[in-house]
Parts: sequence; structure tokens; C-alpha cells
Amino acid sequence: MRSALFGRHLVASIVMLLGLTVVLGFGYPVVVTGLSQLFFHKQANGSLIYRDGKLVGSELLGQEFTDSKGHPLPQYFQPRPSAAGAGYDGSSSGATNLGPSNPLLIGFVAGVNTVGLNGQPSAANPFATKADPACVPVSPQGTPVSSPAPGQKYAMTAGGSYVCDPNTVPERALAYRQFNGLAANAPVPVDAVTASGSGLDPDISVQNALDQAPRVARARHLPVPQVIALVHRYTQGREWGFLGEPTVDVLELNLALDGTP
Amino acid sequence: MSVWGWEQLLFIVAVTAVAAPLLGRYLAATFRGAGATGTSVSGNSVSENRAPGDRVFLPVERLVYRSLGVDPDSSWSWRAYALAVLALGLVGTLLLYAILRLQGVLPGNPTHAPGMSPLLSFNTAISFITGTNWQAYEGETQASYLTDTVGLVVAQFIAAGVGLAVALAVVRGIAGKARTVGNFWVDFTRSLVRVFVPLSIIGALVMVSQGTVQNLSGFRTATTLAGGTQKIPGGLVASMESIKLLGTNGGSYYGVGGAHPFENPTGFTNMFDLLFVIVLPFAIIFMFGRLIGRPRQGYALVAVMAIIFVGHTVVSMQAELHGNHLLPASVSQAASGVSPGGNMEGKETRFGPEGSALMTVGTMGTTAGATDSALDSYTPVGGTGAFVAILLGEISPGGDGGGLYSILVLALLSVFVAGLMVGRTPEFLGKKIRAPQMKLVLSYVLTIPVTVLILGSTSLVIAAGTSSILNPGLHGLTEVTYAFASVANNNGSAFAGLAANTTWYDTTLGLAMLIGRFAPIVLSLAIAGSLAGARVHARTRATLDTSGPTFAAFLLGVIIIVGGLIYFPMLILGPIGERIIG
Repeated sequence: MRSALFGRHLVASIVMLLGLTVVLGFGYPVVVTGLSQLFFHKQANGSLIYRDGKLVGSELLGQEFTDSKGHPLPQYFQPRPSAAGAGYDGSSSGATNLGPSNPLLIGFVAGVNTVGLNGQPSAANPFATKADPACVPVSPQGTPVSSPAPGQKYAMTAGGSYVCDPNTVPERALAYRQFNGLAANAPVPVDAVTASGSGLDPDISVQNALDQAPRVARARHLPVPQVIALVHRYTQGREWGFLGEPTVDVLELNLALDGTP
Repeated sequence: MSVWGWEQLLFIVAVTAVAAPLLGRYLAATFRGAGATGTSVSGNSVSENRAPGDRVFLPVERLVYRSLGVDPDSSWSWRAYALAVLALGLVGTLLLYAILRLQGVLPGNPTHAPGMSPLLSFNTAISFITGTNWQAYEGETQASYLTDTVGLVVAQFIAAGVGLAVALAVVRGIAGKARTVGNFWVDFTRSLVRVFVPLSIIGALVMVSQGTVQNLSGFRTATTLAGGTQKIPGGLVASMESIKLLGTNGGSYYGVGGAHPFENPTGFTNMFDLLFVIVLPFAIIFMFGRLIGRPRQGYALVAVMAIIFVGHTVVSMQAELHGNHLLPASVSQAASGVSPGGNMEGKETRFGPEGSALMTVGTMGTTAGATDSALDSYTPVGGTGAFVAILLGEISPGGDGGGLYSILVLALLSVFVAGLMVGRTPEFLGKKIRAPQMKLVLSYVLTIPVTVLILGSTSLVIAAGTSSILNPGLHGLTEVTYAFASVANNNGSAFAGLAANTTWYDTTLGLAMLIGRFAPIVLSLAIAGSLAGARVHARTRATLDTSGPTFAAFLLGVIIIVGGLIYFPMLILGPIGERIIG
């Protein structure tokens, strides 16, 4: 009796599922797509930006501003570090997923996650360099290793210090200061040295843009106040005054710079 | 927390406080007569009861009933109801499995996604039919457009409709006068036709207006300013996003979910998305109060849920704004008008640390588990907020329907404990709670913890389990325990560093999802069935009032003590230990 009931339910389920597949699998997205394309054509297609008729990107997606060797171009504002593919890869969004005490994120912090040359926990960081006491050495191939195998050798620089993983926060802070000509202990805005959740974050903080402005001005032979004024013009405030954070869209700002004589 | 953080939280609370009761009123009017045995107006059939929008919706529903060969005025025992739920789950899983396996040769595949492996298809099919939406696959590259829209979105509608339908049956059993609990096909059809489909369309259009994409373009190639190329993804994102959130499903079009700018483009959509998740589960509780004719009972449950919601959310917002104390001091984590500050690893600039924690941890108390930031990179305290929301059993405010039957079971447990304390036969809504009900309640309360703890601890001692861990130390342990807690509670969010597409995890997590979804459904229907038709005793002065602040506080205590006793060791070994050592 019960199995007959289950059989009847199975038949009804199959009919229901076929109906749902047609109505919700095809009809529903067709209705939403049709209305979206009709009323919100630009947004529905990805808020694309064209320059001289050529697609250069999207308002909503960050992109890289590097030369063919991967070095950041000083004449452009630089986005945040990215974990999407090799960097701002639109087909491979992603975060680092590194935990808050992972050496690959924070470096080897003495007393927290440091290991000795033998790979066992130790109180101090044997790989510390003068510039970066939290240095996490990379293998000769450049592969980051959070816990070095016993006896493993790491490449040293000519000065006798270790080659540090460039993607830790302390190393990124060093590189940011050097690239932007900031003092050795100048504060670095946190968004400039951390990777975003999507790897495609189009924005940087206002502070991050202001810190980069003098460098961009130098590279473009523009007066610094003019670049700073541009940063403020492309600053998007909090929506409704309190939703989200103020941001600067890097691609839009750089496009505006390219359009500045 | 900053003033901006408080304002956003207040905004969420205020909008929910206005919208949820209104929606609850609509739901109550819609479902009062459905399935012949309405609870407050018992005995009325569908055709006798008027509900808003009948002129539009009724003809559609009649057509459905006729095609299914179902008599909409019949009402069933809890067993028949549960069998229908299981039948739909079985057929749905098989169809979705077939689509996932065959997507490589099926049309609608502009991104050339190959067919999924058998184990990954098994895991993914169960994941979406159960409303868990654990995603072991990579959204952009491993799922075709057809899979997303025809396979996954349909499953998301099914999961949502089943949740609400089961809740309605449970309410009828616990509070109604009839011996039957309703008609599954009527409840399911009405919930889709009158709630999920119309609201999904509206929500999707709001999202598109803000920049969420909805197109069929595949990847477009842009030439970047620096002279490189960038692939710009497309897809039917908004239509999936809206039922993902409204149905407390959580499965996103893109791998990173709500962090993706094409899915969640602005600070406004971030808050809209959160509201789209939590308003309906709260509304279902208000509906419950109206259906049983005791709105105050609904308010008491809503109050308990809201307190837990604000609790875990505020803890995480504060922790994330405070930032990661292990970063060098010269990295400025102070929030100001020009910098979001805080722990920005894995977070988007436009949301900031507080907006991210509010949205991500806010949805953790529902079975959506929709995220807009990388949970794996949260501070230990911030991650604990999300973890605790899941471990308390998804009741702040829970899934669509799931939240209601979960908290009703916990309310039964509470009246039983209270009854023991004062030495009276426990009663809920006038019905006596006896040994048969308590056996089912305890099975319900223990099923998920037993599943989580056994599978989680096994994974920590075998190589197949530990080799998937990304982060070292106690944080890595949390990646594993969190995964099982998340899927067994049908949440689906992840400490995403865990490499979950392996034989071990695809299998065990798949099983945990099945148990975590269908065991509670069958058990809560059984409880409802055992109370259906039971005598309703008149209230006397000695009756324990289950709708006042005293009971609400007692229920809150029971929830926290039960959850704490079961999971505290796991939290000590995980995030709490991590915080102490760091």
C-alpha cells in the first residue's frame, strides 16, 4: 500500500519536475533576461567600457596595469593585489583563502608561527632580513614554502640575505613604500597590501589613491594637485550616505588620466 | 563598531522589522486554507478560501494539479507527506545528476565546460536539491549555462518550496485540530507560484538595475589599458542570484559568490542581498503566529531569532573592523573617511570589513550561507561568529521553513525541560508533550551533531582528510570541522581553502548533506504527525505561557546550552584556540 503511494508520488514528481524544468529552467531566465536587456541594457551586459570603439574593460572589474614583464606601470594607479588566476583573470575569480596567521599572508612573526632551519617551531625567525624581519624564504625556484623541509636550501641574495616571498603583507608594504617613494615607516593603507575576496575588486580606498598620486604625477609630468583633484572627482561616496565604503574605481580614474592632456 | 557599521545594522533591522510582518500577513492569507486543513480555520477547502491574487494564481495552480493528477482538497497523513517530499528529492537528484554528467555534450555551453565526474556530480546534485549549495566545483569553468539555469536554478526553487511546504505541514500537525497535515503538492505549488517565482523576478530586476549581469554572451575579451587582455565573464547571474538568496540556498553563479562585482556590485546590493535572505524566514515565523491565531507566539520566536542574529553578527563585525593584530604595525588598519581599515584580506573595498561581516555572517544564521568575502581569511573571532551561527542549528532566522520547524522542535524541548523543572506535564499550544514526541525531538536534536562530529573527526585523522587542508595549525582544523557543520546544516558556506573536490570529501560531505536535510524533515513531520489530532487543552492559570518574555529567554538559554555542550570542545580546538595562541 505504501509502496503504491510512493509510486504515485514518483510519477507526480516526474511530471512536476518536467514542468518546472520548462517553466523555471527556461521561462524564468528568459523573462528576467528579456526585461533586463530591455530596461537595464548596459548593466545587464556587464557595465562595459569602450574607448574609440574598442572594449577596454568593465566599470565593475579591476584589471592589471603592468608591463609585459609584470612590473607595475608607474603612470597608472595600481589596483589591490589579486588572487584571481595570475591576477585579475576574469575567468578565474578567487581569494587567497589564507588564514590570519598563515606565514604566506603575515610572514614569519616571532613567537606566533616561526620555524627554525629544521622546520620545527622556534622562537625567532632564522630567515629574517634587515628590511623584513618576517621574511618567508622562497625556494630557489621561487616557490613559497611555509614550513621548510629539513636541510632544504634557500637562495640568498648577493648581500647574504634570503630571498623573501614577495606576496606576504610585510613584503608588499615594503614594495608599496618603495614604488611610491614613501618613508621607511610610513603607514600603508591595508587595502593596498591585501588581496580582495573576488580577485577582481575594481576599487581602492581613497587613502590608497592619495598615496599613489605623487608617483603618478611624477611619471606623467603633471602637477600633484591636479592628480589629487582627479582622485577626488572619481571618489564614489557611500551609497545613501552610509551603505558600503567610499571607493575609487581604478580603471575609470586611469582612463581619465589617459584623457588628461 | 563604527558609526557606519551601526547604521548599516540598524538599517537591516529596521527594514526587516517593517517588511517581515507585512510579508508574514500575506503568507498567512495565502496558506490559511491551503490543503483542506487550515490550522486556524480548519475544514475549509482551497476553493472556499480566498487568498490575495487568486484571480491570477488559481488558474495556474489548477492546471498544475490537473497535470499531476492530484486532488487539491485531499489532506494526508504525515507519512504520505514525507513520502512525497522524498520522491521529489529522489527524482530531482537523479535529473540534476544526469545534467551535470552530460553538460559537456548538451547545448547551452558557450564556455565549454566538460561533464562533471561521477563523484562531483553526486555531491553537487545532492548539494542543490537539499538547498545546501556547497560548491565543490568552480562556477566559471566547471558549470555550463544550461547547468546553472536549467539544473541548479530549478533545484534551488525546489529546495525553497519543499522547505516552506514542510513547515506548513508541521504547523498543521502541532497546532491544528485535524489528524492530517495537508497536501504536499498543494503547499509546494502554492509556495512557488505565489511566493518564490514572483519575488525572484522582482529581486533579479533590482539587482540588474545596480549592475548584476544577466546575459548570454559567454566570455568577452577586452584589451586593457596596459595593452594586455582580460576575459570578461557573462552569464544569467541575476536570475540565479535572486532565488539563491530568496530560497536561502546560497549557491552562486561565480566561484567567489557575493564577492564578485558582477554578482554584488555595490554597497547597496550588499545590503539588499542580505535583506533578500533574511526577510522571508522571519516572515514565515510571523505567518506561523497568525496561522495558529496567536501572533504573540510568533513574536516570541522572532525575538529569540533576532537576538541570536544580532549577537553573532555584531561580534564578527567588531572583530573584522578591529583587524588582524598579526600584521605589521605600519600597515594602517584604522578605519577612517578615506580608508575602510580592518581585516581586508579576502574582502572587497566597496563593502569594507563591517559591511562584509554583516552580509556574510548575517546570512550564516540562515541555510543560505551566502558570502561576500573569504571566510577562511576572517580573524579567529570573526570566523567564530559565522561558526556559532551554524552550530546553533540555523535558527537566526534559519532557512525558508527550515527555520520555523527547527525552532519549533527546540521550543518543544524547552517546554519539556521547563515542565521537568516545575513538575508539570509539558504542553505546547495546548497539546501535551509526552514520551513519543520527546524521543523524536531528541533524535532531531542529536542527528546533525553526531553526523558532524563523527565525519569531521574521522577526516582529521586520515590522510585523505588532512591532505586537503590549506592553512597550517588550528585554522586548518577549523576548515574541516566547519565544512561538515556547514553542509550538515544545509548552509553550504566554506572556509574555502579546503580542497573539497576529492573522493573522500565529495562522498562524505554528500552524505552529510542528505542526512542533514532529510532526517530533520522526516523527524519534524513525524513529530507533527504524532501531535496531529491530539486533544487541545484549554489554557488555565497553571499553563506555562510559551509566548511571553520568560519563555523566550528560557528558549534562548536552552538553545545556547544545548549547542554549547555539544560543540564547545570543537570550538576550543578551532578558532578559540587559534585566537589564544596567535
